[in-house]
Amino acid sequence: MIKLIEKIEGEAKLNFNFKEGKIDFVDIEFMSTRNIENILRGKNAFDALVINPRVCGICGHAHLIATVQALESCYSNLKLSNKAKIIRELTLNFELIQNHFKWFYLTMLPLFGHKQEILKATYPSQLMGKAIAIFGGQYPHTSYAVVGGVVCEITEIDIIKLQHYMAETLKFVEENLVKTKSENFLTCEDADALLDYEGDLPDILRQIKKENLLEYGKSYDRFISFGHNSYFKKGKSLKAKITHNISVLHVKESEMPSSFAKNVSFKDKYYEVGPLARAMVNKTPLIADAHKKYGDSIFSRILARVCEISQLLQHSKELIKDLDLSEKSYIEPSIDISKLSSSGYSAVEAARGTLIHKVEIENGMIKNYEIITPTQWNLSGGTKDKHGVSQKAMIGLSDVKTAELVFKSFDVCSVCTTH
Amino acid sequence: MKNSSLFNKLSSRLDELSNLPKLDDEVSISKLIEEKGFSRREFMGWAGAMTSMLMLPASFTPLVAKAAELADRLPLVWLHMAECTGCSESLLRSATPSIDSLIFDYISLEYHETIMAAAGWQAEHNLEHAMEKYKGRYILMVEGGIPHAQSDYFLTIGAHGKTGEQSAREASENAAAIFAIGSCSSFGGVQAAYPNPTNATALSNVTNKPVINVPGCPPSESNIVGTLLHFILYGTLPALDVFNRPKWAYGLRIHDACERRGRFDAGEFVEQFGDEGAKEGYCLYKVGCKGPYTFNNCSKQKFNQGTSWPVQAGHGCMGCSEPDFWDKMGIVHEPLGDRLYHTVFGGLGADATADKIGVGILTVTAIGIAAHAAISLIKNPKE
Repeated sequence: MIKLIEKIEGEAKLNFNFKEGKIDFVDIEFMSTRNIENILRGKNAFDALVINPRVCGICGHAHLIATVQALESCYSNLKLSNKAKIIRELTLNFELIQNHFKWFYLTMLPLFGHKQEILKATYPSQLMGKAIAIFGGQYPHTSYAVVGGVVCEITEIDIIKLQHYMAETLKFVEENLVKTKSENFLTCEDADALLDYEGDLPDILRQIKKENLLEYGKSYDRFISFGHNSYFKKGKSLKAKITHNISVLHVKESEMPSSFAKNVSFKDKYYEVGPLARAMVNKTPLIADAHKKYGDSIFSRILARVCEISQLLQHSKELIKDLDLSEKSYIEPSIDISKLSSSGYSAVEAARGTLIHKVEIENGMIKNYEIITPTQWNLSGGTKDKHGVSQKAMIGLSDVKTAELVFKSFDVCSVCTTH
Repeated sequence: MKNSSLFNKLSSRLDELSNLPKLDDEVSISKLIEEKGFSRREFMGWAGAMTSMLMLPASFTPLVAKAAELADRLPLVWLHMAECTGCSESLLRSATPSIDSLIFDYISLEYHETIMAAAGWQAEHNLEHAMEKYKGRYILMVEGGIPHAQSDYFLTIGAHGKTGEQSAREASENAAAIFAIGSCSSFGGVQAAYPNPTNATALSNVTNKPVINVPGCPPSESNIVGTLLHFILYGTLPALDVFNRPKWAYGLRIHDACERRGRFDAGEFVEQFGDEGAKEGYCLYKVGCKGPYTFNNCSKQKFNQGTSWPVQAGHGCMGCSEPDFWDKMGIVHEPLGDRLYHTVFGGLGADATADKIGVGILTVTAIGIAAHAAISLIKNPKE
């Protein structure tokens, strides 16, 4: 049975094979590509800063940050002000937050039989879009991060606006998502205690328990996260055993015969990326507890993603305190790009997980560019002997509707994947 | 007098629309606005802003308000082709909840892959149903370039295995109006940049129906919503420029209404990001601003509910609402100056002068205007 999956920011085709009433194997196919890597070749290196956000209109900012960091890694002694670093991180946080709202309200709620509440998705994501626009000029598709810093010269008034947008977003969370003071939510370490709260998130989690969906969506219990910053740590988690010493050099892409998307593996194994992976590597108490009780199921996956909204809002508040507006926004690199022949890479945590960019420059022109997106990790289409992460999570289910729920719990995005 | 005849014309168009059945009898726009906690005054305030954006006199505000309220008579079909979903994202961020409600609750979005609840067979059924039931009445909005390359199955979507091109063509056939939303759908977009590996092309190249282009990467939410409101009000295509862009939105260059324009005229330029000029809000021309070659209303409408726009944030315009800007307007952080051939307008750009002299001279503006005028003369503008 073939099922077209929409509403994943693009399309993918899932081909379900049943055996004795249970899903035996799922082919995942992507039917298009835009070939951005090919378009980048031969262009001026800095042009990647405006082309790459267009890989994805949903996580374009992550692509901008990944691009600027990949280019900066080609320089040997590039200086970056703390201010520029904080601004880049803040905007990335805001992008993650707005994504999670939209995913929860537009994609997940209807799958649980709830009415799709578009305004609940758009209101907080608009606030976060405005917050990004203060620094970046517009959202989606900002190009304000450049090699050496950022171009915006923000003022105290901008900071006040920013704090207002964040306060409004927090208010929305406390009035809708989890109806309690966010301190309570953030300090909660017991996943079951969360079920006693009111709000859209506890409602869904209760429904998962009540309808016996707790066993659904389990995969390898193997997580990875490369994009470290002041909040996220780099590392991998295997059945809750965490290692921080990992290298991007072991990440490999491989072509698939039936799809335009490429598979991604780390040391030849498929790993899950995304908020649950980040929380596992970061050892976030609430998520670690959910994982201990319910494993890498849809329960933990949904909780981790929504929980990240509050965590990132909280962390962004702290980051703003460290922002020193008197610092430089931009420090000119000591070498002109046209004299640079080098290569580099970057890893950034995008809403859906680890995003990797690799670049090779020759006299300031792009010789080669590779982009590995989060959805490629989660949607790698393995074989019957070696399933991809989301494939494994769907196997054994008895109906396509539940499989779709499991599939979408990964917050898959075909736009990025078919770059 | 001219205004009053236009007023009457639009009024009768709206009367006509109000006789059409609603898509959903259960909801009424004015009731919904009230339910969402908006006063009539707030709604009229919004309508006033839209009126001025559409370059109509303020006295037309009640008409625009009425047009918005009648939006539930026109079904909307939104298709995704080869794109990044950024235009949908721009629309999702559209101004104030009243507008959101207009788009999502009032205007029945019959088919939109990203935000509708249905998927798979159900989604395809919805599309076919909408196209059949509202034959000749629905508004088609297409996001994304149309790719042809690589195999017969390229961009095969839907349970019936149609290609993107087939879907776009079929949906265009019986649409009341067709809008190409964003630069991809209007001109091919980023995937059509050299070497255009997927052979992507504009929507207007795969249908023989008139297509109104609403370019931008992404276009501002106000240009998307404004185009729609314009159609509701007039029932006809707006006046278009040579690239089929509505003149009310794309009639002026970024440069014409730029907030940093005074700096340009005074010869005050940012020489390097982060310098004193950057802090003072000097002109960004020398760090690559393509505002003098780009027709759009960004400086007036801005993005994200009027929060900001690239030039305000300190990054030059990249020319995203012009055809083939990816190839013709690079390098992004360098002025186009001196590279006069192969630029847009066949090298009529005025930047070389600005680059060399670096002081305010109106000649630049004059040449720019001449360029615009020259282009307008090539073909008859569809007034």
